[in-house]
This record gives sequence, structure tokens and C-alpha cells, in this order.
Amino acid sequence: MGVAIAIAIVLLIVGIGAGYYIGASTSKSSTSTVNITEAGSTLLEPLMQIWSPNYTSQVNSHVTISTNGGGSGTGQSEAEAGTIDIGASDAYVTPGLGVINVPVAISSQLVMYNLPGLTNVHLNLNGTILAMIYMGQITMWNDPLIAAANPGVNLPSQAIVPVVRADSSGDTYIFSTYCDMSDKAWFYGNSTKAFQTTPPASGFQSGTANTGVITKLTETQYSLGYVGISYEGAALATGNLGYAALGDNNATGAGGTVASNYILPTPQNISYDANLGLARLNYAVYGLAVSLILGGSPAGPTTWTPGSGGTNPTAASPTPYPIVNLEYTILKTSPASPSHQTYVVQFIQWCIAWGNAENYLKQVNFIPLTPEIAGYDQQALASISISS
Amino acid sequence: MPESPSPDSSGPPESRQPVPPAAAGVRHILRKVVPYVPALIPLGLTLAIVFTLLYESHLQNFGWAFFGFNFADYGIMIFVVGSFLTSVPALLLAMLIGLGISIASTTYLPRFVSAWLDPFVDLLAGIPSIIYGIWGYFVVAPYFGVNVWPWSVMHLGWIPGFGRAQFSPAPSGDGLALAIIILTLMILPITTLLMRDALRSVPRDLWESGLALGATRWEVTRRVAIPYAKRGVWGAAFLGFGRAIGETVAVAMVIDQAQKLPLNVYDGTSTMASLIIETIDSAFILTPQGVLYLRFLTELALILLAITLAVNIAGRWIIRRTFTEVAGI
Repeated sequence: MGVAIAIAIVLLIVGIGAGYYIGASTSKSSTSTVNITEAGSTLLEPLMQIWSPNYTSQVNSHVTISTNGGGSGTGQSEAEAGTIDIGASDAYVTPGLGVINVPVAISSQLVMYNLPGLTNVHLNLNGTILAMIYMGQITMWNDPLIAAANPGVNLPSQAIVPVVRADSSGDTYIFSTYCDMSDKAWFYGNSTKAFQTTPPASGFQSGTANTGVITKLTETQYSLGYVGISYEGAALATGNLGYAALGDNNATGAGGTVASNYILPTPQNISYDANLGLARLNYAVYGLAVSLILGGSPAGPTTWTPGSGGTNPTAASPTPYPIVNLEYTILKTSPASPSHQTYVVQFIQWCIAWGNAENYLKQVNFIPLTPEIAGYDQQALASISISS
Repeated sequence: MPESPSPDSSGPPESRQPVPPAAAGVRHILRKVVPYVPALIPLGLTLAIVFTLLYESHLQNFGWAFFGFNFADYGIMIFVVGSFLTSVPALLLAMLIGLGISIASTTYLPRFVSAWLDPFVDLLAGIPSIIYGIWGYFVVAPYFGVNVWPWSVMHLGWIPGFGRAQFSPAPSGDGLALAIIILTLMILPITTLLMRDALRSVPRDLWESGLALGATRWEVTRRVAIPYAKRGVWGAAFLGFGRAIGETVAVAMVIDQAQKLPLNVYDGTSTMASLIIETIDSAFILTPQGVLYLRFLTELALILLAITLAVNIAGRWIIRRTFTEVAGI
């Protein structure tokens, strides 16, 4: 009996080994299947899930892409460790870690509120006002600063309920970057914790994931929160949420920057901001690691000064929406298997060229890459060692 | 170096080959050593976990703020309080209800009825916690949010913490109170199981003599059976508490995660375990903040481990003391 089991185990191991060997040795032949693994950002995941079957059916039936969530941090560290092929992330990885940032789409963020009667009025808000609300310095909707930005709007005399994400989130990262670049006094988020923010006001609420935030906003009157633009449809379908027009932070005022224009998150305005950010890109030093918040950081991607955002040359981009973000794929430059990486690069190239078509991106409200970013992407992909 | 024999070489006697002396020596040593190895696995595992956590934390010094209530300054107190706020009430409720069930089952119900009902307790004890979480999230939470919490605000609102705060209870029903309820239901089967078996182990003689002295069944239960079964009751309490304070997913699903102290029983908060699972992704970000957050979470995990171990040790101590007392009677 024991001998029989031992033989069975040995045969099993031999079988698995042989299967692996055969699979590995024929992986270059056109009849075998290549599986590309992707994990990370839950914001990019729906788009990856749309792309993946389309790539397999339209381009290469031998390549499948398995998509996973887990969060941007997971995407970054697993891509760096080489346990997955493609790491998806809302935030770029700083240069020098053996991975490069290849943006595949542009996303944006809405600032939403639950104010009865003002749902279809796009309130004017800016980074300084939002930072002060989340720091507990502005507590009422009819605060003089909000009123000054919204002439003629009848603001309720009610306490503001800030809503944050309870879980780790790229949305929190993007939002707190906006606050950080708008208000010198901002000290949450980027400065202290990665992807986390905690308002000191005891009255704040939080939700898990974008859907949780939408639920919280919907059931809490006079609340305010940030929602990824992919969830615009879901949020507006609730019927009692409106979204704000955000300031460009063009002028300097007390405590930070104030706006001269208030801009809605239309595709056009989001593209304007992306172009503005690219004008500040230092590709030679930082690759595509660039923040697009408020038109990018004038001082480089990792060394912006809090409160320095929004020195906006209006001529080139008249109305840039300030909270715009590149959705990155994180790829290893020296992969363990260059031949496998060939398939990965081919897929990413398809995402940039064909996957950016409106019929794919429209489903998640993302904006296509600008031609300049797509061009930089090709440069970046060329630095990956592949073999054909 | 002689080839060491494979561990399964003790086949049928007729197939055994004569072994060279050196191999025999190795085999002798193996026979002496191998039986002790499994006994060391728990110790090794504990040490491995502690050392891994210590290593990952790099013993990062967050200063006194670490023991404070400000999460933005890497303070853990909100989550320590949150853990106790959920697990202690859940334990008290589960102990009360569990004691009731086990007394009914061992003392009052006819044998054939309890023989039919007992297996359901055993069955419930084996259900994975995620199932309690899903049930709580999709079934219990909406019901409580719409029907129970508005009622309790109206009728129990005079109790501090049960009244209506600014924005709660939310119609979704999630929050501290729901987490307590789900935790109670989750640990109820295991506490009931242990207390029932302890009560059942009370010798028949003790019962009969109590009844013969003219005591009622309730008096015998209260004055004879429960003191005799004290050890099992304490054991149930500590095991239940250990499960409650460490429960992660079921709590995370229904507690309405928020990194703050709850304003009232309907409000959201976080426990140590639920914070770890909700924000673990921040620890993987490839930035200095990500590294710092990984250290923060591992240190929080160490605190949770220390609390669990302390409860465990206290439990053992109490049980040993109680046991000697009982044995000394």
C-alpha cells in the first residue's frame, strides 16, 4: 500500500515536471498559449478586463491576459518583484527600481456632494477650499470662502461632512496630492502616509471602494467626497449627487492658491491638463513619472513644493481640469524571460494604439492618451529587453 | 557522508535489507530525534512569526504618538479601542446566551430533544467566518438599518451612545453595533459547545445528591453544576475572546470601516485586524511612505499578537487556579 502511494506520488511529480518541460519548450511555437498576468489598481482593472478578451479574440488567439485587482501598491511591488508581468498603478514608481512607468490611459476624479436643490448646479470649489475642509478649517457650507467662489448660489447653513476612502486608494493619493499642491498647510496624505488620509474632524465619514463612498455620500446629506471618474454614471444615477467645477489655482491668495477659472471635467478639459503636464515632463531624468495634478509639478515629479501648483500658462491650455491622472502599467526593464516579455510589450503596444479607441475607454469614462504621451510610451517600451 | 535512508524505509519486514553500520547509526539517531520534531513545530512556528514581524517592522520608532489616537501620526489607539469595543461586548453576549443554551440543553430539555438540537450547535461552530460576514452584509445589515436601528434610536435613545448622532444610523445598517452582533453570532457556537460539554461532565452523583437535599434544578445548576464546570466556562470565554479579537473579514464587511472612534453604537470604526486588511495595499507602495506604512502595520500586528498571547496566558493561569480549587473541594 505504502509502496503504491509512493509510486503514485513519484509518477505525479514526474508528470508535472514533464508537463512543465514540454510546456516551456514549446512556448515559442505558434500553437501554444502564452498567459500574461496583470494585477494592481482596481481603477484600471475594469479597462484591463475589457481589453483582455478583445486582444485574445482580435489580435493573438494564443495570448491570454489574466487580470487581477489588489490595489496599486500590490501592482507596484509585484511587478518589481517579477511575480506578475504587468503591474497596474494609479501612481508612478520613482525611477531606479528596475521598472518603468508606461501610461495606458488618462483618468480623472470628480469632487461630489450631496446638497439638496444644488445637484445640477456645479458648485465652484478649488484645492485650497477642499484642503481646508479636509483639515477641519472650513466646516460650514456657507463659509465665506465657498460663498465667494459661488456668487448667487444659496448655500445651506449646514455642517460639511467630508467623506474619505477607508481602504488604501489611489483616489486618495490623487486627491491629497491636489490638496497638497494647493495649500501649504496641507499635512495629510502624501506627506505622512501613502494612499491614506484622515481628516482630524470627528465628523468625517468613510466608505470602502468608490461604491462605498457613493453609498456614503448618497445617504448622508451635506456630505462631500471624491470619486473616480469611472464611477460617474453610478454616482449620477443615485439622483442626489452633484459634482463640482474645480479651480485652476491660477492666482495666489491667503493660505494657498485661489482660482480665476472654474472648470468642469469634460474630456476636452482633461486633455488640456494632460498637455500642460507634459510640457513639464523631464523625460530624460524621470521617464514618464509625472504628476498631472494642476498641470503637473513645476519642480519635477518627486520634489514639488506644497502649495506650488497651478502656475498655469493659459495660452496653450485655456481650461485644464486640475485633477487628472495617468493610469500606469509598471513593467520590468530586465525581465527574467525576454521572450515572454515580447508578448507583454506587444500587448501594451496594442493597448496604447488600438486599446485607446473610444469604444473601449468610453465604458469606463477614461480619456485616450494624447499623441505625445503615446510617443513617449514607445520610447519607454524600447528600453525593455525583449527577444523575438 | 553516507546516504541517509529515506524515512519511509520501514516497509514490510521481509523486504528489509541488512543495513551497513554507519547507516544504522544514522537511523538510530533519526529514531531518537524524529519523534521529538513534531513537538517543536508549534514553538518554531511561533518564533518564526514573531521574528518575521520583528524583522519587517525594523523596530521602527514612531515615538509616543504610536500609542496615541492620531492615526495621521501613526497612532494605534483608535484600533486597539475598536478591537476591544467589538470583542468584549460580543463575548459577554455570547457567554450569556451560550450559558442559557447549554443549561437548557443539559438540565431542562428532555434527553431526546437535546440530542436532536445539539448537533446544530456543532454544525454552526464549523461554519467559516466569511459566511457570517456575507450573511451579515447582505441580509442582517439592511434589515437592521431599515427596521431595528430606527426603533432603537426611538426607544433606547436615552442610553448614552444609543441616541441619534448627526448622521447615523445609516440606512445601510453597517457599524459598530452590527459588528458586535455578527461577532456574537460567530463565537456563540464555540462558547456554547465548550460550556455544554463542561456542564455535561458534572457527575451524576453531584446532581442527585443536590436534588436529594431538596434543592430545585435551578439551585443545583447555579450552586453545584456551574461552579463545577467553571473551568469549561472560563475556557469558553478565552477561546471566544481570542476568536473575536482576531476576526478580520467578517468584521471588516459589516463595521463600516472608518479610521476614527465611533460617535455612537451605529457609527463606523476599525479594529486592529480590519485596519490591516483594508489598508495592506498602502504597505506595498514603492515609496518611503509605503515602507513606513509596512513597518507600522507589522508593529500593529505585533501588538495584536501580544494582546492575544496575554489573554491566552491569563486564561491558562485562571483555568489552572480554578481547576486546583475545584479539585481541592
